[in-house]
Amino acid sequence: MLTLFLFLQEVFFFTQQNTARVVEAYVGEYASGKSEMAINRALELKKQGRNVTLVDLDTVEPFYTLRTLKNQLEKKGLKVLAFSREQSFGLGETGAMLNPAARWALWQEGDIIMDVGYGVLGAQTLNLVEGAYDSPELKIMAVVNYSRPMTGNRERIKKYINSLGRVDAIVANTHMGDESTVDLIKEGNREIFAVAAELGIPIFFQALDEKLRDALEESWEIPVKFIKRFMPAAIW
Amino acid sequence: MGMIAPAIPKSWYLPSKPHKFCPGCGHGIVLKALGETIDELGIQDQVVFGCDIGCSLLSWNFFACDSTQTHHGRTTPVMVGIKRSRPELITIGYMGDGGGYSIGSQHLLNSAVRNEKVTLILVNNTNYGMTGGQMAPTTLPGQKTETSPFGRDVDLTGYPTRGPEFIAELTPDSAYVARATVSKYKQLRRFLRNALRNQMEGNGFSFVEVLSTCPTNWRTNAQQTWHFLEEEMEQYFPIGEIKTPFGKGDK
Amino acid sequence: MPKIFEANKKAFITGNEAVAWAALAAGAEIMFGYPITPQNEVMHYWTRLAPEYGKGFLQTEDELSAGFTVCGAVQSGKKAFTATAGPGNVLMQEPFGMAEAMRLPLFAVIQQRGGPSSGTVVYSQQEVTLTTFGGNGEGHRIVYSTATHQEIFDYTIKGFNAAWKYRFPTFLLGDGYQAKMREPLEMYNPEERGIEMVKTYPLVGLEGKIGEDREPQHLCNIYSLEEELYEVVMKFAAEHEAISPELVEYEEKECEDAEIIILSHGVVSRAADDAVKILRAQGIKAGYFRPITLRPFPQKQLREAINRRPARKLLIAESAYGQLDRLTKQEIYGETVAIENLFMPGVGIIDYDIINKVKSIL
Repeated sequence: MLTLFLFLQEVFFFTQQNTARVVEAYVGEYASGKSEMAINRALELKKQGRNVTLVDLDTVEPFYTLRTLKNQLEKKGLKVLAFSREQSFGLGETGAMLNPAARWALWQEGDIIMDVGYGVLGAQTLNLVEGAYDSPELKIMAVVNYSRPMTGNRERIKKYINSLGRVDAIVANTHMGDESTVDLIKEGNREIFAVAAELGIPIFFQALDEKLRDALEESWEIPVKFIKRFMPAAIW
Repeated sequence: MGMIAPAIPKSWYLPSKPHKFCPGCGHGIVLKALGETIDELGIQDQVVFGCDIGCSLLSWNFFACDSTQTHHGRTTPVMVGIKRSRPELITIGYMGDGGGYSIGSQHLLNSAVRNEKVTLILVNNTNYGMTGGQMAPTTLPGQKTETSPFGRDVDLTGYPTRGPEFIAELTPDSAYVARATVSKYKQLRRFLRNALRNQMEGNGFSFVEVLSTCPTNWRTNAQQTWHFLEEEMEQYFPIGEIKTPFGKGDK
Repeated sequence: MPKIFEANKKAFITGNEAVAWAALAAGAEIMFGYPITPQNEVMHYWTRLAPEYGKGFLQTEDELSAGFTVCGAVQSGKKAFTATAGPGNVLMQEPFGMAEAMRLPLFAVIQQRGGPSSGTVVYSQQEVTLTTFGGNGEGHRIVYSTATHQEIFDYTIKGFNAAWKYRFPTFLLGDGYQAKMREPLEMYNPEERGIEMVKTYPLVGLEGKIGEDREPQHLCNIYSLEEELYEVVMKFAAEHEAISPELVEYEEKECEDAEIIILSHGVVSRAADDAVKILRAQGIKAGYFRPITLRPFPQKQLREAINRRPARKLLIAESAYGQLDRLTKQEIYGETVAIENLFMPGVGIIDYDIINKVKSIL
């Protein structure tokens, strides 16, 4: 069995350039944690005193989207381009409503974090954002949770990442909700790193619920971002 | 002098004979042609016959073939469900003009678009027979029925549905679409054979509308019945193969 | 059949995905469906998985067609299913009725949304009456109301088996919350849990030469005489009643000394469970009763639970305006326990809603 050490010779990391602004789009499998990663990333940048806009590009889901959290996140100082719960009508059966402002998201000043919903067309959703693919700043982050059956082994992860189109970096987000353990996360992320190495795609970070901060005994070689899970409260 | 026994198709189910269709009804002719075709093709054991509600319902145990009876208009999806699950079976849906063109039209239309590999036979007698002679999608302009007592007014209810014509528009070239009449038996047999062959060869959707007679609800004697069929119906609804993968088609 | 899961595997998924995986594990062969929220991901995942496992799928023109194609598929001997919600469930009552009349082993998943009419696409428990007693018949059906993703997985497998064993149309009644929530569950191959999958068999398209090896099958659902139909319906009723004792499932907690029993089903029972724990900690003698089968209903067990102490009150909590309440009252007719209710149609119920209600009526 390959060890984490062995991987480290092949796995490489994504470092966000010190550009004028950060533009990141989070894509990935259904329920892989795209919105969660996008929210946490936006808040992280906000804490650095930056001007951050969070964009809802989830065209599939009425549930578990940023929309229900819009007001809460705006109180934290983020600009959120999404319909709020009150502004939605009939959920358009369902989420297939794009806030017109999202189309022009890149015209916003400051950092842009985009939460892209799932779907067989993958990152193509970014076609809906004016100028996205021409943007030199755009980085597409694929979020992968090894506990999701469709990305539950190396073969499936590879197939899935390949189906997404352009991917600039991978976020390893293995978890099992309330039943997450450090071991489970490590084991799952190890598989994700192996695939990333094989595909030559860098790892941006691995996500770890802040509740597990104390359970983490050793320092992990691959950068960990502690995240707070907002989405369980996002049910309509 | 003894009676000459009529030739009964092998695929008919004898315990259900004599059948219960009215004297002069065209269903018996269609079902005889279908029975002979099933015999000729040797497919009795592979056929699943499905019948709709309406007079076509009376065929639920007509054949010595596995048969199932459905709801009004829903024979098409039941046949599609069987065929999609067991492609080796030969599914024959049997329905009237109400079931096919009215209450079940969305199923007919969409199964045609999907080129489902089923054979549907639709009997057009210009009225709802079993419920007592109401107006059907195929009722001719001016024709009196219980719900068009002063004759079908096309300003109010539109023109009769030309089913095979619209199905031909919806289907690819591998489909088979024809309109037959009980007044031309040999042609009817040929069209039914082609419709079944088309399914057996896995080509695509196969649809035959058969112009038929309903003396009971038309309140016509034998001569008048035949006259209405040949002079009125066949004039309005052209007979022939509208789309066929087998040669040029019989116009 | 190839194994679906290499090992019993924990997964983090939504309820809709759990249906698709469980159907696969149960050996389902074909799905027919029509898009409606909140059940769409059942189809999304079935269609992703189908080619990999040699399964069939057809997106039909509407829910009538989805229901009737399933009727056809099961008649041909294939394990088929569909999933729907709300107005789709209304349309499917027609094919469900045919399945009832012809005793077809149809299995359907219902993810309840708000009603009446288009309502909301979110959540409700307002399809209880429709799913248990919809159609122009007598409700000779089997209805499992699940509360967790693990149950969605378990009862999907069980549902296919019940349908094919008893030949009454069988339903898994979920809701929008269960459809979309994400939680861990264990997915398994039924055989490895000692669950034997009931063998399917055709009702039409049988083996053998007609007239030599066998008689032709003539299935019908229409009768000429009142008496003929009467015989059939009475026979179905007797059979449905006879199998009820082995079918009924329920969950009961803390009813031995309960002054008040909280009755709920589906996802609301999770709130009721929490509420009872909190109330008990506060010294209030609350009990919990949850029918898992809404049809047949565990009426004997509920009567026993009520009469144990006996309880003074029965609080019926549901995200509908009295559908579980009506079902319960007809089942426990004659009991003198005072029945109170917490009706929140189309709205989620949390533990505090129940606790506040309990405190207001004790």
